[in-house]
Amino acid sequence: MKRQDNLPTRSPLSRRQLLMRAGALGAAGLSLPALVSSGAVNAATTTRSSTRSRGSAPRPRSGGGGELFVENWVDYIDPTEDDLVGTVDRFIEATGIETTYSEAYNDNNEYFALIQPLLGRGETIEPDIIVPTGWLAGRLINLGWVEELPLDQIPNAANLRDDLVNPAWDPDGKFSLPWQTGFAGIAYNLEVTGRELTSTNDLFDPEFNGKIGMLTEMRDTIGLILLSLGVDISTISSFDEAAEAFEKLELAKNDGQIRAFTGNDYISDLESGNFAACIGWSGDVAQLSVENPNIRFVIPEEGGTSWADTMLIPKGAQHADEAAKWMDFVYDPVQAAQITAWVQYVSPVKGVQEEVAKIDPDLAENTLIFPDEETLANVHGFANLDEDTEAQFDEAFSAIVGA
Amino acid sequence: MAATVVESEQGSRARSGRHVERFGLAALLVAGALVVLLGARVVTGPVVIVVTALLFATIVSLVVVAVAGGPEARRQLAPYGLLKPGMLWLALFYLAPLFTLLKQSLSTLPSRFAVDAEFDWNFGNYADALTDFGGQFQRGFLYAGVATVLCIVIGYPLAYVIAFRGGRWKNSLLGLVVVPFFTSYLIRTIAWQSLLADSGPIIGWLERFKLTGPMESLRIMDDGRLLDSAAAVIGGLTYNFLPFMILPIYVSLEKVNPALVDAAKDLYSPSTSAFLKIVLPLSLPGVFAGTLLTFIPAAGDFINAEYLGNPNTTMIGNSIQDQFLVQNNTPLAAAMSFVLMAIITVAVLVYTKVLGTEELA
Repeated sequence: MKRQDNLPTRSPLSRRQLLMRAGALGAAGLSLPALVSSGAVNAATTTRSSTRSRGSAPRPRSGGGGELFVENWVDYIDPTEDDLVGTVDRFIEATGIETTYSEAYNDNNEYFALIQPLLGRGETIEPDIIVPTGWLAGRLINLGWVEELPLDQIPNAANLRDDLVNPAWDPDGKFSLPWQTGFAGIAYNLEVTGRELTSTNDLFDPEFNGKIGMLTEMRDTIGLILLSLGVDISTISSFDEAAEAFEKLELAKNDGQIRAFTGNDYISDLESGNFAACIGWSGDVAQLSVENPNIRFVIPEEGGTSWADTMLIPKGAQHADEAAKWMDFVYDPVQAAQITAWVQYVSPVKGVQEEVAKIDPDLAENTLIFPDEETLANVHGFANLDEDTEAQFDEAFSAIVGA
Repeated sequence: MAATVVESEQGSRARSGRHVERFGLAALLVAGALVVLLGARVVTGPVVIVVTALLFATIVSLVVVAVAGGPEARRQLAPYGLLKPGMLWLALFYLAPLFTLLKQSLSTLPSRFAVDAEFDWNFGNYADALTDFGGQFQRGFLYAGVATVLCIVIGYPLAYVIAFRGGRWKNSLLGLVVVPFFTSYLIRTIAWQSLLADSGPIIGWLERFKLTGPMESLRIMDDGRLLDSAAAVIGGLTYNFLPFMILPIYVSLEKVNPALVDAAKDLYSPSTSAFLKIVLPLSLPGVFAGTLLTFIPAAGDFINAEYLGNPNTTMIGNSIQDQFLVQNNTPLAAAMSFVLMAIITVAVLVYTKVLGTEELA
C-alpha cells in the first residue's frame, strides 16, 4: 500500500527553499556569476543533504534500529555544525534508527494541499511524523487522517507543559504532541526602518509603502490586525467580528503597502532589506539577530499571537514505533534544551529552562524563550473556529492573499 | 494526388486504392480515440481489456493489410503507418489529459476537503473564472504583450546584426544568445531578485549616476524600488523569452539574399526603403514565429510574477497555480486553464489573419 514515489517531498529542492538560500547568497553580496556558478549548486546540495539526515555522525546500522522519516519546518532543529552534534544525529546514535529529517514544510496551506489528495484517498504519505500548526492538526484529526499516538511508548510525554495537555485542537491529547510553541509579532530591520517599531500599526505606515511583508498564515496576519483593532482573538466566533481586519488588509494590499505574502521564507527578504518590517515568528528572528543585530523582533503593544506546532503521525505511517521513540527522545529535557538553545522558540517540555541555563545562562533569561507573566499576558491564541466559520475566513483570506 | 494518376490508368485499382487509404485513416483515428478513452479513464473495469484488444487490432490489421496488399497498398498506407506513433503519443499525453481537464472544469467538489470532484456539468466554474480573475487575465495578457513587443524591439536589431554583420563570428554570437539556457530558468529569474534588490547593485548604480529621477518618472521605479513591481515582471518576461524571439528572426533574416539589397541600391533606393520594402517583409515569418513562441508561454507564465512581482502584479498563471496547488480547487483551476487556452487560440487566429501569413505555414 505504501507509495514511496508519490510524496509530499517530491522535489528535493522546494521553490521557496531555493529562493531563501539564493536570496541569502545575494544578500551576502555575491555577484551574479558567483550565484550562477556556485550558488545554484550550493543551494541544491545544502538542501539535498538536509532532506537526508544531517551531518556525519557515525550511524550504527547494527541492531536493526528501523527507519523514520520526519517532516518539519525549515531551521527548526539544531544541526550538526561546528563542534555540536545535532539532535537528529544524537537520536541516530542513541537508537540506531535510520532517520530521514526533511525541511520541506514551508506553509500549512501548501502542505495540506500536498497531502490532501493522498490521505483523502486513504493512501499513505512517506513521513512518519509531520509538524503542522495547531489549527491544521485539529483539521487533520477531525478528518481522521492521523494515527493515535502510542503514548505508552512515550514515557517522557509526561514532561509536556501543563497548559498544552488538553489543547483546543486535540482535547484528549491522544493524537498530538507539540514540537515547539512561539509567538507571531513584528520583525523589522532597524537599518531600513531607522527607528524602533512597537505597534502593528507601524506595518501600515505609508513611510514603509512597498516594504512590508505579511504571512500567508491567516491566524497570525489577521490575528495581529484584529488585536490592533482591539478585538479579542481568543474568543472570536463569527466572520463579522473579523471583517474589519480583512478590509484593512485588502486596502493595504491594494495601496501597494504589502510587498509579499510569504511562508517561512520571509527571512531572506528581511535580511536583505527588501522588507523594512514584516510579521514574523519569534524564534526565526532570534536566530537571525545573532548574526545581524539590526534584525529585531517585538511583540506589538496591542498584542501578539501565540501558536503551537505539533507532531502528528499521519494515518497509515509505517514506522509508528520509531516515531514514538523520536517523540520520547525530544521530550527528554536534556535533548529538548539543545533544540531550544538553537531554535530559540518556546519549548513545550518542562524542565528545559534549567537545562538551557547550563548551556547558556543568558538564554535562560530571555523572555521570548521563557516567557514571563508580562509576556504571556500580551499574547493570545486564535480561537478554534467551527468548520463553516473557518471556511469563511479562509475564503476571504485567500481572496486577498492568493494570486 | 497519387490516386488520380492511378485512376487515369486503371479505374478499379484506384477504387481499391481509395479503400486502402480510407482504411488507413480509419485505423489511425480509431486508435487515437481508443487511446483517449483509455488515457482519460472513461472506460473502466473489464471494458479496458476489450478496448486494449481493439487498439492492438487496429495496429495489427494495418500491418496485415499492408503486408497482404502488395507494394501499391503499402505505398498508400505508409503515411498513416508513419503518423501512428505520433498520433498515439499525442492522444495519450495531450488529448487524454485535455479531455480529463475539460471534465474537471465542469465538475464540483462535493465538500470542502473532498479529493475528487464530481462531474455535473457545472458551468459555474467558468463564470467564477471570469468574474473572480478578470484582473489577472488582463494583467497576464498585458504583461505578455508588452514583453513580446519589447522582445521584438530588442531582438530584431540584434538578429539583424548577427545575420548581416556577423561574418565569421555568426556562430559564436548565436551561441552567446543561447548561453543563458545552460542555467535553469528558475535560477536566472531568482538571480534577478538579488540584482534588483533594494540594496542591490543596480539600484546603487542608478543612484550613483542620478538616474533614479528619470526612472521614477518613466514609472519603471516606484518609490526607489525596482524589485517587486510590474516593471520587474515585464522585464523578467522580456529577459527570459528574448532568445525565442531572436532565433526565429535570425533564421528568416539569414535566408535573405544580401544581393537583393544591393540590387535595390543600384536602383537608387535609399537604405531605409530597401529595408522596409525588401528585408522586413522577407523576415516577417520570423517575427511571426517569434511572437508566438514568446507571447503564448509568457501569457501563462507564473515564475516571473512570483519572484519579481508583488501581490498586485499577479498574472493568470499565478492564479491557476494557486488554485491547483494551494487551494486544491481543481475544477476552478481547470476552468481557468480552458479560458486561458481559448483566449490564446482566438488571439493567435486573429493575429494570423491580420498578418496574413497563412502561406508561411
